[in-house]
Amino acid sequence: MNIATHLPSFILGIPLLFAFLTPIANKFSKEIRNAVFLTGLLLTGLFVGLMAYEVYTTGGWVYIFGAQDPVGELTTESLFRITFVADGFSTLATLTIIITAIGAAFYSLGYMKESPGMGKYYTLFLLTLAGVNGMVLTSDLFNLFVWFEVTSIASCALVAYHNERGKSVEAALKYMIISVVGGLLLLVSIGLFYGEYGVLNYALIGDSVHGSFIDLLAIGIIMVILAMKASSVPMHMWAPDAYAEAPEPITPFIAITSLGALFVLFRLIFFVFRGAVEPPALGTILIFLGVLSMFVGVSMALKQSDIKRLIAYLSVSQIGYMMMAVGVGFATLDTADYGSFGAMAIEGGFFHMINDGVYKALLFLSAAAVIYATKIRDLNKLGGLAHNMPYTTFFFIIGALSIAGIPPLSGFSSKLLIYESVYLYHPILAIIALVVSIITLALVAKVFFNAFLGPDQKMSKGEVPSSMLIAMGILTAVVILFSLFPHYVVSEIVVPAMESLGVGA
Amino acid sequence: MNLFLILPFFVVMVLVAMGLYVALFKKNLIKIIMGITLMQNGANLFLVSLAYREGYVAPIWTSAPATDMVLPTPHALTLTSIVIGVATTALMLSFVIMLKRHYGTIDSNEVRRCRE
Repeated sequence: MNIATHLPSFILGIPLLFAFLTPIANKFSKEIRNAVFLTGLLLTGLFVGLMAYEVYTTGGWVYIFGAQDPVGELTTESLFRITFVADGFSTLATLTIIITAIGAAFYSLGYMKESPGMGKYYTLFLLTLAGVNGMVLTSDLFNLFVWFEVTSIASCALVAYHNERGKSVEAALKYMIISVVGGLLLLVSIGLFYGEYGVLNYALIGDSVHGSFIDLLAIGIIMVILAMKASSVPMHMWAPDAYAEAPEPITPFIAITSLGALFVLFRLIFFVFRGAVEPPALGTILIFLGVLSMFVGVSMALKQSDIKRLIAYLSVSQIGYMMMAVGVGFATLDTADYGSFGAMAIEGGFFHMINDGVYKALLFLSAAAVIYATKIRDLNKLGGLAHNMPYTTFFFIIGALSIAGIPPLSGFSSKLLIYESVYLYHPILAIIALVVSIITLALVAKVFFNAFLGPDQKMSKGEVPSSMLIAMGILTAVVILFSLFPHYVVSEIVVPAMESLGVGA
Repeated sequence: MNLFLILPFFVVMVLVAMGLYVALFKKNLIKIIMGITLMQNGANLFLVSLAYREGYVAPIWTSAPATDMVLPTPHALTLTSIVIGVATTALMLSFVIMLKRHYGTIDSNEVRRCRE
């Protein structure tokens, strides 16, 4: 038996183990604690990399926990064992998560150096990592609920890290109440599926769903809850508060939990819901939610003067692109249109997800560098930072141009795929997407002019510490890598993800 | 149809609807959390009621032939969900304690007004 088959369990087990080693190491010294934390994170990264390598060479597998043969078929005896899928799609998701996590972790080492309670901070960081990884890897509905709640608890506690500020606690409570109510409704709909089919495995439910009233009820609830967690309009109200109030280095990672929920939603749509609903109907709902998120997100961003809230609303609007693109792909499923443009839409949507995770992290972190250097978050009061912070300025430009979809950066490659394909579905969708992109460009240009350009006002003492620059540098390198080789990323990472969902071109 | 088999599902509906109403429309943060706890209990009861089969015995392997047991899986799920429920409730209550310290109130409208 090949030891590599156990990789999915390591991706969960390592962060969980190190999450609880960190507070113990904290008893000894700060350095040991940081070393333990980084070891846990980098080991997880190593295992994600190994799993990616295995998946791309052997084609992926289903891992059954506790079974004699962990890669065997599900038998009547092992029907209720928890299963994880290691396929192209989970690799796409875990890669996105781990890249952002490494960026946020190195950033935290510099940014939060003097903050109290860092032992707990790193524990919660690793718990969130384990939770999101579990969410995207699992293929068992109840297990999904468990990881959903682990992610909620850990990330809400992180949002409330600055508990000396009333606003942070308020944002965390809001996020928590919404997540918990969502989680409970998710549990009820899982119960509905279990009551009807007597199994919890995605694939087994997917085989037997047929679109009865109970199916549709459960599917509706699950879609609403996951769209809520993904911060799609009209269920986005928690997101800007939570993003703005979370400690600055962790914000991209809170945003990644949203992206994780979107990954789960897409997996469920293609694995489970496909047999129960008419593809055009569900696709139209996704397109509708996507367009709404894109438009409302970007128009709410227009009136923000807080740099983090502005980026938070931009991130809501980026979620819309992915939902719209995958919605178009799903709507054309099983028709001739799928071959001509539907597959391209899904390709663009998935490519945009990994792009978005990385450049959004870069934007949040460079905004955090501005806040670190000046202690000011109001765009109207900032100015002239480019004189003292050349590296941060460069990193911000890369992130900003990428989110606005300016060639040749990675955001452009994925957005181009989306424009081309949704135009063939309905021209108005492409027009909306382009308009939203232009407004996004205007917004990041506004941030850039207000914060970085202008006469030197002596606001910052100089560049931020090197560990923060390294973190932003890593993310910038990934963005540039994706920009230089978009074709390679699509054919090596995105296409296997589509094939594993059964929607290859 | 046996009324006793239907009754738990009515109770579940009442509990979840009541909890959702309280969580959405009440202004007192403690009451909101009580509403969420009601929903938790509703969801747990739902899982347990799904498992019940009339006339079957408790799922303990040694005491019954394998065919005559009620379904064991939902019981395992319910235990997990109870544990998660305790953790979430505790975290939410601690947030409320902190809010009370900052703003001196647990009314969500008052909290919003203090913030501005």
